[in-house]
Amino acid sequence: MVRNMKHTLMFMVLAASAFGADFTLAIGSPVAGSLPGAPTTSDGAPVQVRKVNASFAVRTEGCADPATALISATAEGLVNGARQSAALRLLPGTGPGVYLVSRDWPTQGVWVVRLIGTCANAKAGALVPIGPGGFIRESSKFFPRFATEAEIEASLKSLAGGAK
Amino acid sequence: MRDDQKPPLGPIDPGQLPVVKAPDAIWNSIVASLNAESEPAPRGFRWWRFAAACSLLIGTVLLWYSNRPQPPSWEVVRLDGSPSVGSKPLADTGRIAVGEWLQTDASSSARIQIGQIGTVEVEPNSRVRLIAAKPNEHRLSLARGEISAVVSAPPRLFFVDTPASTAVDLGCAYRMKTDESGSGLLRVTVGWVALEWKGRESLVPAGAICRTKSEAGPGIPYFSDASQALQDALAAFDFEKGGSEAVSMVLGESRVRDTLTLWHLLSRVDSDERSRVFDRMVELAPLPQGISREKILELDKDTLRRWSQELAWKW
Repeated sequence: MVRNMKHTLMFMVLAASAFGADFTLAIGSPVAGSLPGAPTTSDGAPVQVRKVNASFAVRTEGCADPATALISATAEGLVNGARQSAALRLLPGTGPGVYLVSRDWPTQGVWVVRLIGTCANAKAGALVPIGPGGFIRESSKFFPRFATEAEIEASLKSLAGGAK
Repeated sequence: MRDDQKPPLGPIDPGQLPVVKAPDAIWNSIVASLNAESEPAPRGFRWWRFAAACSLLIGTVLLWYSNRPQPPSWEVVRLDGSPSVGSKPLADTGRIAVGEWLQTDASSSARIQIGQIGTVEVEPNSRVRLIAAKPNEHRLSLARGEISAVVSAPPRLFFVDTPASTAVDLGCAYRMKTDESGSGLLRVTVGWVALEWKGRESLVPAGAICRTKSEAGPGIPYFSDASQALQDALAAFDFEKGGSEAVSMVLGESRVRDTLTLWHLLSRVDSDERSRVFDRMVELAPLPQGISREKILELDKDTLRRWSQELAWKW
């Protein structure tokens, strides 16, 4: 009986792993999403970072088929004490599952980019604070789920505090 | 021919040849030919033909001249002072043709429209020549001075030659300066630029800088926020034969992001130093799956390229 349960548990762990239980998002400078050695995107078009006005690049990790993973991004801001939100464009970068995140938020206020990713049944999320010099890699947070509203608020407050 | 008109058979004595009358048709044709040769051509008719031929020729030349292929050229806009194109001062706008020089003095600057793909601003005290203006090759030569280029195009369409390197645009924005000997600096603000020189290549991403030097070509790129000690050691290694001491300083000063510099250093040190560089890189950023130490130390091109693509996520 116990042996059967062990086998079932092991099977569930392996199955979860195969379907992307280790699925996470990773970020990098826009240059990571427009590599010279791979000058075209997954759909065959050349990557043109200038046209994209990319803030940073994002990619999936631990997804068996990165081309089928879904990623979306929103800019979450605090402008004059009021919460704002804006959908961001994701443009294909070099390689499957690689995207460039457009810089489509106002210059006023403080902003974090909320990333949401799915790979089969697995979920992943990230919060990427934006500073005066661009995205702040060191303060970015990565989750094996979507970031909550409370976590976004905390990140914005931390940024606003630092900006004062 | 009747029998009495036939020539006699056998030997004929002189003076005994019979006289035979030629047919009238022969005489008529001879007379007609003689008349045709001696009759002068009507003068008016000849001049008219000559004039028509001349008109046709002139018209053809004019048509060709007005539709002849123009030498390729790009638009130039004066930004400040009195820049010149060729030997003429530039008005507010003008054109620079292939082979022509654009020159600015201490108080002038200009902007060149690079076909349909971008712009180049030419700073004061610069000399720039248009080398090629083709759809698949947009090429300038920067003899001295400084330019800033903004290009939005697929990689390897825009090139800038300097005395010690060729900057190959890989979809980017950058500033580049050089003196007449080739000593200069490239600073990339968006995307990537490859600096090439006699088989050597430096890949410079946004935020990074690369020096060039006469005879030596492009040095190793580094991020602008790298420590001053790393930058000095790199200059010593690249251009002053700094050797092992300079390498040690670079390794000690490197952060995760400086794996850009170390990745270039790998292929510019001897095999003894190479393993030291590799070990430091792996300390800073763990080796990804599928990349082997042996292949890297052998400088296997494909393995190096794949590793750089992973490292770029830290740059």
